[in-house]
Amino acid sequence: MSAIVLREVSRWYGNVVAVNDVSFEVGPGITGLLGPNGAGKTTLLHMMGGFLAPSAGDVRLDDGPTWRHPDIYRRIGFVPEREAVHAFLTGRQFVLASARLQGMSDPGAAADRAIAMVDLPDASNRAIGGYSKGMRQRIKVAAALVHDPPVLILDEPFNGMDPRQRLHMMDLLRSMAAEGRSILFSSHILEEVERISDRVLVVVAGRLAASGDFRRIRRLMTDRPHSFTIRSSDDRALARELLAGPEVEAVEVRDGMLTVRTGDYGALTRSVATAAQRAGASLLELRPADESLESVFSYLVRR
Amino acid sequence: MIQTLASITLRGLLNRRRTLLLVLVAALPVVVAGIYRLSEPGDAEALEFGGRLMADFGLGVLLPLVAVIIGTATIGSELEDGTIVYLLAKPIPRLLIVIVKLVVAWLVVVALVGPAVALAGLVATGGDAALAVAYGAASVLGALEYTAIFLALSLVTSRALVIGLAYVVIWEGVVAGLFAGTRIISVRQHAVAVADALGGEGAVTADLAVVAGVVVAAIVTLLAFALAVRRLEAVELRGDTA
Repeated sequence: MSAIVLREVSRWYGNVVAVNDVSFEVGPGITGLLGPNGAGKTTLLHMMGGFLAPSAGDVRLDDGPTWRHPDIYRRIGFVPEREAVHAFLTGRQFVLASARLQGMSDPGAAADRAIAMVDLPDASNRAIGGYSKGMRQRIKVAAALVHDPPVLILDEPFNGMDPRQRLHMMDLLRSMAAEGRSILFSSHILEEVERISDRVLVVVAGRLAASGDFRRIRRLMTDRPHSFTIRSSDDRALARELLAGPEVEAVEVRDGMLTVRTGDYGALTRSVATAAQRAGASLLELRPADESLESVFSYLVRR
Repeated sequence: MIQTLASITLRGLLNRRRTLLLVLVAALPVVVAGIYRLSEPGDAEALEFGGRLMADFGLGVLLPLVAVIIGTATIGSELEDGTIVYLLAKPIPRLLIVIVKLVVAWLVVVALVGPAVALAGLVATGGDAALAVAYGAASVLGALEYTAIFLALSLVTSRALVIGLAYVVIWEGVVAGLFAGTRIISVRQHAVAVADALGGEGAVTADLAVVAGVVVAAIVTLLAFALAVRRLEAVELRGDTA
């Protein structure tokens, strides 16, 4: 069993701070690194993978630093986000080359095993140049796990996959985690992280905004105040009725638009129709005002 | 492990359209020599022309052109398209990676330039094998020095091809021709000095003693090699968004 430990890690490029004073540990099981695009996820993964030097703090695999220590790759499998692979190789040649460069004693058997794990044997004799996005993603995973590493780092592994491939990849990660491996993957999609992670790290603007098990983070996200905008035939009457309900914290009528703030997402959506009925108003539009992932994240950061 | 590294490097180089274009460029001096023979020149004149063709065109233009394109692409193209990560994510000493890549690139440059230079000389002179062999051998040594320089350059800057070409034109082409003192660090002069020493003394003679040329060439090659290893050990991969 292996673990990656980050202690007070920062990384900046010139004047731009990409990662700001982050500490955490990734142990056995599946850890999801969640954050919007540009939050510093790839920078963090690259530092963990030993491809980038931390500007401050240290990044260790077990007891040694990852930066400038190629030996760590015996214990780490890394799946980069970028799609580029040696397009002239067939899938099997690519995985086989990985096995050979790892110095494995039976590279052929290892390659076959890895290709079988990602369920790609049919395509493995075709050049990668002709692969779909999802197939490329899987052959990259096969190459990364060909030497059976205790730690697997994947940067946006579900990108470009169709739902079936996504489920298969999730099963694969789960089964590898069940064997005691430490798996870390990044994603900007909440549902992906929610479905398979034992533990979640939320990164926003280079900072660790939240970490822990998913249920806790989910609660933080759903318990936060939500805003809805409503258009109706009689905004003022509807506002009065809504304000009578305990779930509504504030209402505002401005520019022909009714904005409602609530601490209980579910209760509001259930009560709004009856409130409209009582007010004798027709609902024209009901829309969450701030449901983008970014707003969820920025709430977590402000908290 | 070494074999895999070498074969991927070689396939990466040969798969580039640029490399195939270089075959055509390499054929150029041979074609020129053939056309020249059609004019049925005298022996002395042909010797002079053949020497100039091999020294000025072969070692002066073809060799640096091929070396800059192959040398900068060997690691540079992988850095550019991101496939370098698959190599870096292996427990292989970076020193070994640079050695294998340099040797492969060198051999590709030699394969493209060496036979072309020797054959052009052979045709132009009407069969002076000694001269052709001397220049062919000189291009093998020049190829190593150039390739090491350009491979290191590609790990220093992402604009290695442009800077490398500028260096070839400005330094090797103009400055080293104008000022005698600068010739000691001109790859082309090193190569010509070797050709001279191997019995190719003819139309073009080096302004450099062969020992000085070989010693400086060895130092430059080693420095470039050491720089490449150092840079590869510290190469940083940044995300697309960073």
